[in-house]
This record gives sequence, structure tokens and C-alpha cells, in this order.
Amino acid sequence: MAEENTNSNTDENSKLIGLVAQFDDPESLVQACDQARQAGYTKTDAFSPFPVHGIDPALGIKRTILPFIVLGIAVGAVFIGLGMQWYTNGGSLGEFSTDESPVFPGYRFKISGKPYFSLPANIPVTFEVIVLSSAFATFFGMWFLNKLPMLSNPLHRISRFKRATNDKFFLMIEEADEQFDRGSTEAQLNEWGAVSIDECRRDLTDNNLPSWLRLVALMGAILLLLPPVAIFRAMGMTSRAPRLHVVPDMDWQDKSKTQTVSPIMMNDRYLFADERVMRAPVEGSVARGQLDADTELYQGIKSDYVPTVSLTTPQGSVRTSLGTQDEAQAAPAEEDVSMYVTEFPKEITVDEALLERGQVRFNIYCAACHGYAANGDGLVNQRAVALAATGKAQWTSAKSLHDATVSNPEKNPLGRIFETISNGRGTMGPYGAQIPTEDRWAIVAYVKALQETGIKPVVAVSDEESSEDSKASGDSEAATTPEDKTQPKP
Amino acid sequence: MHETRPAKITSPITTLNGGHLRTAPVALIVGAIGIGLAIMLSLSADEGGLKRFMFTYLTSFCFVLSISVGCLFFVTIMHLTRAGWSVTIRRVAELYAMCALGLGILFIPILATVISGSDMIYSWNQGGWTMHDLTDAEKIEFETVANRPPLEQMKYQFLNQNFFTVRVIAYFLVWGGMAWFFLSNSLKQDKTGDKSLTSRMQAFSAPLMILFAVTVVFSSFDMEMSLSALWFSTMFPVYFFAGAFLSALCTILLTGLWLQKTGRVTDEITIDHYHDLGKLMQGFVIFWGYIAFSQFLLIWYANIPEETFWYNLRINQPGWMTLSILLLVGHLFIPFFLLMGRGLRRNRKLLAFSAVFILAMHWVDHYWLIMPQMNPEANLYTLTGMGIVIDLACMVGVIAVYIAMFCMIAGNRPLVPLKDPRLGEALNHEVH
Repeated sequence: MAEENTNSNTDENSKLIGLVAQFDDPESLVQACDQARQAGYTKTDAFSPFPVHGIDPALGIKRTILPFIVLGIAVGAVFIGLGMQWYTNGGSLGEFSTDESPVFPGYRFKISGKPYFSLPANIPVTFEVIVLSSAFATFFGMWFLNKLPMLSNPLHRISRFKRATNDKFFLMIEEADEQFDRGSTEAQLNEWGAVSIDECRRDLTDNNLPSWLRLVALMGAILLLLPPVAIFRAMGMTSRAPRLHVVPDMDWQDKSKTQTVSPIMMNDRYLFADERVMRAPVEGSVARGQLDADTELYQGIKSDYVPTVSLTTPQGSVRTSLGTQDEAQAAPAEEDVSMYVTEFPKEITVDEALLERGQVRFNIYCAACHGYAANGDGLVNQRAVALAATGKAQWTSAKSLHDATVSNPEKNPLGRIFETISNGRGTMGPYGAQIPTEDRWAIVAYVKALQETGIKPVVAVSDEESSEDSKASGDSEAATTPEDKTQPKP
Repeated sequence: MHETRPAKITSPITTLNGGHLRTAPVALIVGAIGIGLAIMLSLSADEGGLKRFMFTYLTSFCFVLSISVGCLFFVTIMHLTRAGWSVTIRRVAELYAMCALGLGILFIPILATVISGSDMIYSWNQGGWTMHDLTDAEKIEFETVANRPPLEQMKYQFLNQNFFTVRVIAYFLVWGGMAWFFLSNSLKQDKTGDKSLTSRMQAFSAPLMILFAVTVVFSSFDMEMSLSALWFSTMFPVYFFAGAFLSALCTILLTGLWLQKTGRVTDEITIDHYHDLGKLMQGFVIFWGYIAFSQFLLIWYANIPEETFWYNLRINQPGWMTLSILLLVGHLFIPFFLLMGRGLRRNRKLLAFSAVFILAMHWVDHYWLIMPQMNPEANLYTLTGMGIVIDLACMVGVIAVYIAMFCMIAGNRPLVPLKDPRLGEALNHEVH
């Protein structure tokens, strides 16, 4: 019996998938479904042009698990959305990841003074991630549950079945069903009022793709590659032809770049009267975090100092390194040294780390002229002095910082050294813009340490005067001296 | 097996069937006791006097008002969208919407404080608020230094006794008129079965919806937002509306369940209607959360003092902060999961629980909106000790009066449209 079934169900060319019965109206379809379920069939399916009320219970179809898939994905999306933002913003998480030492530094941008990671700001993005992943979960979950995509379905080989999208109703009982028996199932379907019954067979003769399809797919893939290849070729090779502009809007943007001339509007008039593109900040405005009201820390001037003559703070103005010697000498000499702080500001802790920092910064910014040991014999200075001697350049020698005028704490208190580094002095240029405040104080500390090393004050190397001392300590070796000493007290 | 029901009313009882004659007096007595107790306690128990009572009264008033306003929206939107499924539950909404006119009477005590020139409730209703008593020098300073009149002066153009009174009367007339239009036409159709009445209501529902939107927006500004007169939030009316429609859905659902439990309209309202109401409830739970968060996020992010003080009041006082968290969890998260899933939404008992829970949270929502404004400088937390008794007594009283109002308006009128052309669609409504 079983052998007979196998023979009739499967031959060389095709395999029986199931029986498809046609019905003429939805009521008889629902009725037949009900009877098929009662007869014990479980692998059944119904097809109709429109949703038929009551077909799900008639077929015994369980409710889909799709909502639970979506719920699971959505809950997961909460963690993905929040986690992604926590990671990219370099958020803190209790003791695991603090603001001072985050586990993932990420892109730590302070925006509107908000914390790096704060739930209110992150909810919209999380919400979007939930919505997107829920939509994908629904769409692709539906595909998965329906075993899509399916390239071909043997049902479509039944010509009668085409009317399932039009005006006929079909019930299919699959061969895989335990109750299925070619003869008795057909008899039952007839009994339930089937108008006609077709065999649904899968063709076993040719499972291969049509040969032309491979060719078309290959051609399509090659064609798809052409545009990117053309773009990369145009971007990556030299050519006499005009450049290929793939996205002209990005190559020619309607904007003005910084430090350029103001665009010209109608009638040869500039958009801005001063002919510059960039706008100066509103007078009196202070950038966030740059009020710098603490004069001791930011200017080296005592907080209780009241200028006796208004608006003549000689060191307040910005000097440029282009100033000539004459101008420098013309600067007012009668400065009030008492205005400068003689101690380090309370924000600066003088310790070994600060001195090491100061050494590094000094060697980068100061040593070029002043020399590693601060003797005023930096390479730039040596070369410039040599050139000046032949009349090829104008140069004022860099000072030795061991000079009595520099090292005397009475004449040159800490605040004045800081002020000199910040704003320059004489022909020395200002370094306030290049070196952060804390680093300038570190350099001050290091300079004081250098002065404490006991190296005798020497005059800057010049043709007239050169001493043994300066030659001995003129190397960068001397710069290591303060490290060997115990921590100097500035 | 699926069968099409004929478009006929089959329930043996389709009216309150005299029930209102028993319920209304009891409800009125309960209402009088509740409100009376609240007045007595707030006057005697050193809880802030009449001001304390007026604020809690305004809270409960706004709670029931939002139900009526939401029901009015339900009726209008169902006509506007030519909805067929909701026909059998529409009458309940029509009756609740009609209560809006009656609520106009309940607003009289609040309006009285405004007309009498008292700033007991609305702080803008006082002489000094408009800065009329500024010295000339101060006025010049405002005009030259700030280059504009003080904010109070500008807001006074809108928030003043006369204009406020006119507006409030207009709101209740518009709502009452709209509700009467829908209810009377629907009742007329019960007798005549005239299909053109449906077309008529449909045609008018669009312009009436615009009128509804305008009145709801400005009434929420006037009645609740102007308690904090210097605050700005254009999101507030949407927030009010979201809660109003949500509580209206809950009320329609509860009323339907109660009517069917007492043997009325047993055949017309089916589980599918409850299922759809449950879906809408969940949708508007999410909408409420969305709007509440939108309002908060913008203010939190911009961090401008003239806006943040309103939230500051509700966050920096531990009591109000508890309510804020309670709303987040109780008004959003819990109902969101309570109403999730087909099985849960087709369970009458669970739906009833969810509806009661959401309504309770909605009352807390209004409490949270209104009560912190009672004494913003001191930022007193009022839901403590005897305060709870006052609030609950007043809430029970106002709700009881509202129920009495509903019973009296419903009377012996049918609780389901008898001859609506879409009755068949509603009776055969099926949700998958």
C-alpha cells in the first residue's frame, strides 16, 4: 500500500505536493476547511481573493508569533540605541566609567553644557532605533515566517489556480500530512463540495537556473560596477581634461571660506563694509569658559592690585615679534613691579610633574632662542647673531635667563615672567596664544628651577664675549641638571 | 462560522430604563457631601483655606471636563471619518459630550473668583500683576532699557478679567452647541431613520472640528496653563488634548461595560468594540507620552529660565518629583504593557482595570499640572496628611456630580443609535 502510494506520488519527472480543491464561494471554502480540520488534517492551506472571515479558526491556524518577535527586537533596540549613544558620546557609567577616565572616550563634545550621556537627550534617537528595527523585524519576520523569498511555487503550474486572485477559492491538503492518502483524500474533498480537484506537482526534471539568467546577472553586476570605477578613475588619475565632478553641489558650495574677502554683492559693493568674510565678535563678548577673571592665574597680576594710571598697563597690550628694537626700547620703562604675584597661583601645584611638564614645554618653545640651559645660546640665536655680525640681519640677542635682571625675584617676580611669556617683551614675541595657561606656569617653575641650578649668569654668546662657562654649559646636557637635583623650591 | 447579523437592535433594554431616577439623586447627595467635606476640611484644618479648596476643585473639574471634551472629539472624528464600527458606542460619547454644557455651571465658582477680582486661583488677576503701579521712572526704564513693556504688561492683553470671562463662556457655548447638534440629530434619526441626517452631521463635522481645535487650545491655555501666567509652552494644548481623548476612551469603555453588566444594550456592543477601544487607548497612551516628552525635552534642552521654572517646580520638590516619576511609569509604561497584545485587549476584566487605572493616572496628571501652582514660591507639596482627604473628597464629589449629570442627560433616551445607516457595519464589526 505504502509502496503503491510512493509510486503514484513520485515518478521520475515530478513529485506530488498535494491536492488543490476549488470552491466557488467563501462559505463552502470555510465549510470545507472546517471539515478538513475535523478530519484531522493539519498541513492545509486556503487561498482566496480576499480575506475571509472565520477562515483562521476553520483551518485551525494558530496566531502568529510575529508580535513577539517584534517585541523582542524592540526591547533589544532600546539597549542598542542607548548603548550606541553611550559609546559614541563617551558616557560615564557609575564607577565603571567615570567622566575623568571613561572606558570608551568616544566623541566627547560638550553641547549646551549637557552631560555627555543623559537620558532625555538620548530618548529621541533610541525611539527612532526602536521604530526602525521594529519595522524591519515586522517586514523580514514576515518573510521568514512565510519562507520568503520563494522563487517558484508549484501551485502556479495549475492553470485553474490563477483564479485564486480573481473569483475562486481553493483548499490545499499537502502530501506531507500524515492523514494524506491520494485516493481517500480526493474522495473526501469531493464529499466536502469541491468543484474540481487538481494535483499539485513539483517538477523534478530541471532545477537549474536558465543559462541566460546567469549571463544577465553577470552583465548586470559588471554594469553596476562601471559608475564607481569611472569615478575612482577620474578622482585618482591625472588628466588634462576638466575634472569630473560627480557631486557639483559639494565641489562648488555656495559659501565663503574663512580668512577670505567678503563676497561682492550688487553694484560692486561688498556684503560687509570691511571687505572681510569673517565677523568679529560683538564688542565686549567673552567666549564660554574664557572670561579669565582670575588675574593671578591668567595674567600673573595680584588680584588686589589697582592700577594707579588707568589704561596704561604697559604689559597689557599685545606685542608682535615684528616690533623693531627701537620700539621696544621706547616702551615705558617705569613699570610697577609690585603688581606681579610673587607666589604661584593657588590653582598651580608645584611638584615634579609640573617641572617635567615645564621642561618639555621649555625645550619646545623657549630653547630655540634661549638655549636648553637658558643661557641665551639657542641655535636660532647663534645663527642670527652670526648673521647680524656680518650685517646680513638685524637681531637682538636672546637673553640669558641667568642674567641678574631676570633671576632677581625683586626685579622679576614670578608674575612678570609669566607675563613675559604670555605677551612677549622687547623683541620677544608673545606665546600666550600657543601655550595654555597651566603650561606657561609650568615653564615659569622650570625657569626658576634652572636659575636655581647655580649656573653662573652668562652673557649670551656673542663674538665679543664668550666664556668657558658658557661653552661648558652650552650643550643640551646642561638641561638635565635640574632633574638630578632635589626638587627646587621656587 | 461567520454569519452576517441583520442591522437591527436586538437587546431587550436599550435605555437606562429608570436607572437614572435611582442613580442621579444618590450621586448628587454623594457629590454634595464630598464637595462639602472638602470645603469644610480646607477651611477648618488649616490647610490653606478656600484657596486650597479652589485648587483641588479646579483639578477635579478639569479632570471631568477633559472627559467631556475628549468624548466630543470622539463623536466629531467618527463623523468626520465616516466611521462605521463605532456607531453602537457613539451614543455614550454623545451623552458625555453633552455634559460639557452642564460643566459650564460647575465652572461658575472658578469664574466668580476671576470676576470678583481675586487672584486666589489665577495670579494674573490682580492689580499689581500688570505693573500699573510702576513709578514713571520704572516705566521709562522698562521702555528704554528693556526696549519693551514688561512681560506681564504684554500678557495682560490676553489674560484679563473681561476677555477671560468672554472666552470661557464662548468655550462652553461652542462645546455645548456642538454636542447638542450631534446628539439632537442622532436622536432625531432614532425616530425617523432619515439617512440625510448622517450626511448632515458628516458635512458639519469638518468645520466643527476646526472650532473644536481652537476652543480646546485656548481653553487649556486659559484654565490650566495660565495658572503659571508667565510660562510658555505651545505643546501644552496638545498635552491636554492627548490626556482628554485618552480618558474619554476609558470612560466610554467603562460605561459600556457597566451598561452591559446591568443588562442594557447587551447585544450591540461586542468584544470587538472593546478591542478597538483598547487599541486606541494604547495608541493614545503612547501619544500622551510622546507629547509629554516633547514638551519636556525642548525645555530641558534649551534650558532657558523663563521656561524651565515650571519643570523646576515639579522636579526640585521631592513630593512633586515623586508624582512626575509616577506619571512616567503609571501614565505611560504600565498601561503600555497592560494594553499590549490581542489577548489582553480582548479581556473585559483587564480592560476595565486598565481603564480605571488610566483614569486615576489622568487625575494625577491634572493634579500635577495644577496643584504646584498653588504656592509656587513656597513650593509646598499638598498631597500629604489631611490634604489627601481634601483632594479625594473633592474628586469623589465632582465625579459623583458628573455621573448625576450623565444620568440626567441620558434619561430615557436610547443608549445606542437605533436607526443609524451604518448600524449593520457596527454590529458586524470584527477585529483580527
